[in-house]
Amino acid sequence: MRTDEDVVVIAQKYQCTICGYIYDPEKGDPGSGIAPGTEFKDLPDSWTCPQCGAMKDDFKEVD
Amino acid sequence: MSLIRDVKPGVLWVGAIDWDRRLFDSLIPLPNGTSYNSYLVKGSEKIALIDAVDATMAKVLIDNLNTLGINKLDYIVSQHAEQDHSGTIQKLIELYPEARVIASSKCLELLVEFSLVTRDRVQEVKDGEKISLGGKTLEFIHAPWVHWPDTIFTYLPEDRVLFTCDFLGSHLATSDLYAVDEATVYEAAKRYYAEIMMPFRQNIKKHLEKIKGLEIDAIAPSHGPLYHKPEFILNAYRDWVSDEVKNQVVLPYVSMHGATRIMVDYFVDALISRGISVRRFDLTSSDVGELAEALVDPATIVIGSPTMLVGAHPVAMYAAILANALRPKARFASIIGSYGWGGKMVEQITGALPNLKVQILSPVVAKGHPTEADFQALDRLADEVLARHKELKMVS
Repeated sequence: MRTDEDVVVIAQKYQCTICGYIYDPEKGDPGSGIAPGTEFKDLPDSWTCPQCGAMKDDFKEVD
Repeated sequence: MSLIRDVKPGVLWVGAIDWDRRLFDSLIPLPNGTSYNSYLVKGSEKIALIDAVDATMAKVLIDNLNTLGINKLDYIVSQHAEQDHSGTIQKLIELYPEARVIASSKCLELLVEFSLVTRDRVQEVKDGEKISLGGKTLEFIHAPWVHWPDTIFTYLPEDRVLFTCDFLGSHLATSDLYAVDEATVYEAAKRYYAEIMMPFRQNIKKHLEKIKGLEIDAIAPSHGPLYHKPEFILNAYRDWVSDEVKNQVVLPYVSMHGATRIMVDYFVDALISRGISVRRFDLTSSDVGELAEALVDPATIVIGSPTMLVGAHPVAMYAAILANALRPKARFASIIGSYGWGGKMVEQITGALPNLKVQILSPVVAKGHPTEADFQALDRLADEVLARHKELKMVS
């Protein structure tokens, strides 16, 4: 039987459709000044893929 | 003979012109050669070198510095780690033991990986950081992705010179220090933009915003002539990176026994008679750089291919792969061609274009030799291209 304690929230990862880089909110993107724990939706619009320069709108949700 | 030229008092061009180079990245033809622009900036207290030259031209740069009697360099600014600018840095830090190599952290990482510098000789500069040379200040502007993650610009406010490295440059070997022959420079700069800058269109929009407020007398790139009329090249870039597309179709194709070529002939005339302009390329004799330049403006890309070994012709796939990598702003795409007995030509080509944000218009593929029905289908495709272009208000 599942209880509330069994529910684990995993932050949604996003993948760059241009180069395949995966943004993992748990890791953030420290090289660009993005702290671990930052959700994708909270990334500034000026944030670009650290691997290829693509924009946020080139990213898609991924499992 | 040392060719050294004044840009401003205390700012000298000390680079090398590579008149005879004909290939870059083992891919891009250089019909007009190129240059590696290196700049010496002399303040009252310190001297800086902004970018070096390709290792094949090391002797030119080093001889220039010797001719000027430079026996000490305080800084070597590496705006970009790519070896056509950084290749000589390894030699320079041996010859100038006090010199520190200044760059973005990403650039320093790459320079170390390429074995061009060691960590004890470098100094990171952050966005907005300034260094004084005594009466001359170097201000560093982080501008990543033109065209690597490491790229920066350097602004010299006292002389109003903006050093942009590859950004705004052109592969053009010329005796003109400045872009006085605007027609030739425009063509070379647009080709260069298409070949390596176009994928970073959205990043470039931001960089153009970032430098908007600067007072600029001269733009000093790392390839090709400098710009004494900055608006000339800045306006050109604003046009190329804008979201606006033109009432034009670019049509690269390959044909083996003529069936696809006959369809291309018909389709080109159908487009022209509907008032749509066309850039057509036989891929077996095309210059890859010219094809790239033709991708900058048009609203629609059409690829022509026969079927070979039940797939697309490899040369057509090559064009598709390049177009996919360059990410032009075209809105529509289609495929025309032929097959003998079957295959996945259309699927392979459409599958090779995942990075293009295009709507695919109905492909037209003939079995064997095109018939009247195939020509009518090409007419309908031309009608559809016209209708889409009209919707975007490119056609009155």
